[in-house]
Amino acid sequence: MLDRVYIVSRQKIPNSIRAATFVGGLVAGMLISLAVLVANGVPPKEIVNEFVVFVFFDSAGLAQLLTVFIPLAMVGLAAAAAIKLQFWNIGIEGQMWMGATAATFVATMDIGPDSLRLILMFSAAALAGTCWIAAPAWLKLRYGINEIVTTLLLSYVAYLFVQSLLFGVWRDSDSGFPASPIFDEGFERLALLGWGSLHAGIWLTLGAGLVCWWMMSVSRFGFFMDHVGQNPVAARAMGLPVVATIVGAIILSGGLAGIAGAVIVAGQEYRLTIHIADGYTFSSIVVAFLARFNPIGCLAAAFVLAGISSAGEVLKAFYQLPLSMVTLIKAILLLSVLIAEFFGRYHISLRRKESA
Amino acid sequence: MTNELDGSRNMPAVTLTNIHKSFDGRPAVSSASLEVEWGEVHALLGENGAGKSTLMNVLCGIYTPDGGSVSIGESGQRAGTPSAAIDLGVGFVHQHFMLIENFTVAENIFLYCGEKLGYASPEAMSKFIADHAADVGLFVRPEALIGSISIAEKQRVEILKILLGGAKTLILDEPTAVLTDDESSAVLGLLQEMAKDGHAVILITHKLREVLGYSDRVTIMRDGKTVMSGAATKGLTRSQISHAMVGDKTQAIERDFWALGDVRMSVQNLSTEQTGGAGGVHGVSFGVRAGEIFGIAGVGGNGQPELVEALIGLRSVKAGKIEMDGTDVAQANVRRLRTKGMRYIPADRFKSGLTANLKVYENFGSTNVSRNRFGAWFRVDRAKMRRETDAAIEEHNIIGCQARTTSRLLSGGNAQKLLLARELDRDASVIVAHSPTRGLDVQARKSVHMSLLEAARKGAACILVSEDLEEVLGLSTTIAVMNRGKFAGILQQEEITRERIGELMLGHA
Repeated sequence: MLDRVYIVSRQKIPNSIRAATFVGGLVAGMLISLAVLVANGVPPKEIVNEFVVFVFFDSAGLAQLLTVFIPLAMVGLAAAAAIKLQFWNIGIEGQMWMGATAATFVATMDIGPDSLRLILMFSAAALAGTCWIAAPAWLKLRYGINEIVTTLLLSYVAYLFVQSLLFGVWRDSDSGFPASPIFDEGFERLALLGWGSLHAGIWLTLGAGLVCWWMMSVSRFGFFMDHVGQNPVAARAMGLPVVATIVGAIILSGGLAGIAGAVIVAGQEYRLTIHIADGYTFSSIVVAFLARFNPIGCLAAAFVLAGISSAGEVLKAFYQLPLSMVTLIKAILLLSVLIAEFFGRYHISLRRKESA
Repeated sequence: MTNELDGSRNMPAVTLTNIHKSFDGRPAVSSASLEVEWGEVHALLGENGAGKSTLMNVLCGIYTPDGGSVSIGESGQRAGTPSAAIDLGVGFVHQHFMLIENFTVAENIFLYCGEKLGYASPEAMSKFIADHAADVGLFVRPEALIGSISIAEKQRVEILKILLGGAKTLILDEPTAVLTDDESSAVLGLLQEMAKDGHAVILITHKLREVLGYSDRVTIMRDGKTVMSGAATKGLTRSQISHAMVGDKTQAIERDFWALGDVRMSVQNLSTEQTGGAGGVHGVSFGVRAGEIFGIAGVGGNGQPELVEALIGLRSVKAGKIEMDGTDVAQANVRRLRTKGMRYIPADRFKSGLTANLKVYENFGSTNVSRNRFGAWFRVDRAKMRRETDAAIEEHNIIGCQARTTSRLLSGGNAQKLLLARELDRDASVIVAHSPTRGLDVQARKSVHMSLLEAARKGAACILVSEDLEEVLGLSTTIAVMNRGKFAGILQQEEITRERIGELMLGHA
């Protein structure tokens, strides 16, 4: 039976099929997720309520969603910039940790004039994120050492570094909790916009999306990125600046991840705690892949994933479902979309057994 | 071992009759035959792409032939899979060794045939390996790590491996390509010993010395066919062999001749680093004038890719001078060379010429983006790029595409036309073409040749590196022949003969 099934690769993939497989994958993923939730005791009617109405069509729900969206879109852009050039930055969390730490350092040490404090905090965060990715980048370009391992392991180093700070010099002397001193109100915090917990970081993220779109899709740098990412050998022979392009994209990636860390401490927590970067590496890769590394797509994918995350919080509160359910649903969606892509690239044909 | 072989003496070791094999409708081997007797060293000779490897892969069960018959030894059977071939007593020593670098010699051999011979572990097999190695005069150290031993020793391990695996017919693909002269003589002598013991040895080679000095008979392939079948090497002359290999068919490329200008490209004593298995370039000198097509012929793997890469700035130059229009450019990068008019046409278009997954216009415009032709740094003027690409598609008659077509969908011929349209622009002063027609059909080939001639006529200096002798002979006015990283000779127009080139290619100056 199976020997009559042939997988035939499509020479040309029409846009209609591309779109159909994406939507099909997304819908299939949602149906599977629905089944998982129902199997865990959530009434189907309520899911529509919790998921769609409360998350997307309720003012408080939407404000919550957008707050989650801010760092998520940022790390999605960070992942997209690096992975597009075949540089697998699996160390997003490490760069976030270092960014958050740098911002916290500037804030708690009161470095610079008050009016420039936020700018200094974010510059320091971008720089710290970039520094944290610089070592793996150098090792990869100079010695060909696999960046997946180095970036991932450096995340643990960063995490342990933050722990040593929070359990050491920065430990809250009043409560004894592992958390840094709280940031000063006003000039060390991103302003609230008066809509739920949504803060000024939203402009930062939308701005980053716009800048990335310009860099990756409009500017000359983006044109080089396309060639270098798809075929570095040809790009070299064409005389394109291969190394400079890779270095530029890696800096962009590390910088954005660092800023994402700072956005969380300056916009949500107002202090450095030991959970702020948890799980962002995985989420960033999901966002980047769902978006096919397109910056505007990253914003859209992050919006959808933020919805799932905030719905997960609701499900946790009302149905006592573990938070890992959200991770599971994200994974189901990503896998469905990626698997569906297979049907875009190939079509399956049944043939009669050929006579030998 | 000899006794074991005696029983099968009635049948030849290997008989391949009228083998056909095509890939994507293009024949790699068409009506090739080979008969190898027990007790002989049988040389298989031919240029790159003549079909030697395809034929051997058919014999070893890696490819299924489209037509023809294979008979191995007394069984008279064809091996349907590589492991069936091993069971039928055919052992293949590939040019690139099939050994696991971080395993020991014993572990590698155990992996190949340990269980078949009833051993439980590589350690248990060590003594057996050492004893046998001494018997056949192949010194190996069973406990040594493959990664730590010399190339010559690795080769001995390969040979021992297939012998222990029960090989009665040994195939060696260019076994001396990576060896020194002494090592080569040793291994060739060993092969003769094996033949005396009753084995059949098939020696794939490019070297005349190995055919005349070490082989009993020779089969020569050209364009997928056997042009000389099992002729005794005794009594054959060098020119007979090289003539058979390079042939004398001429679908002559017609070209006009014109007066040549000044020297545009001059190379003196150029040497490159040796990297990995590649041999590198050792002291090559030549000059190319405006309007000239300078051909570089030679069997593949004699330093041509390294030379090309050094010329176009992709490989660092260890010693020597490269001058373009009087300026030293030996240390210049690709970008600077391109600004001076260096252009490159590779054989593998989708690997080193075009980015397959991008649009046609993105590939056409890529080399001029840095020169502000399509807007400044903050914005690439894609509309302008598309307009120019459409004009080029029209002008160069690139069929079946628009500016927005994904480049991957272009046929080989049209992809090469796109590449030529980009590279052979007004500013091209030195053109390096490396096997520019590999894999193309007759028509596409002709159009590539016309474009190169046209560029030369307009005053560019062309360097044509090709393993396709017809092409080099038809287009070039001067021909250099490369051998082991050096020029074996440079022939001016009046000295060029097919035989002379064939001899130089085979390493007989």
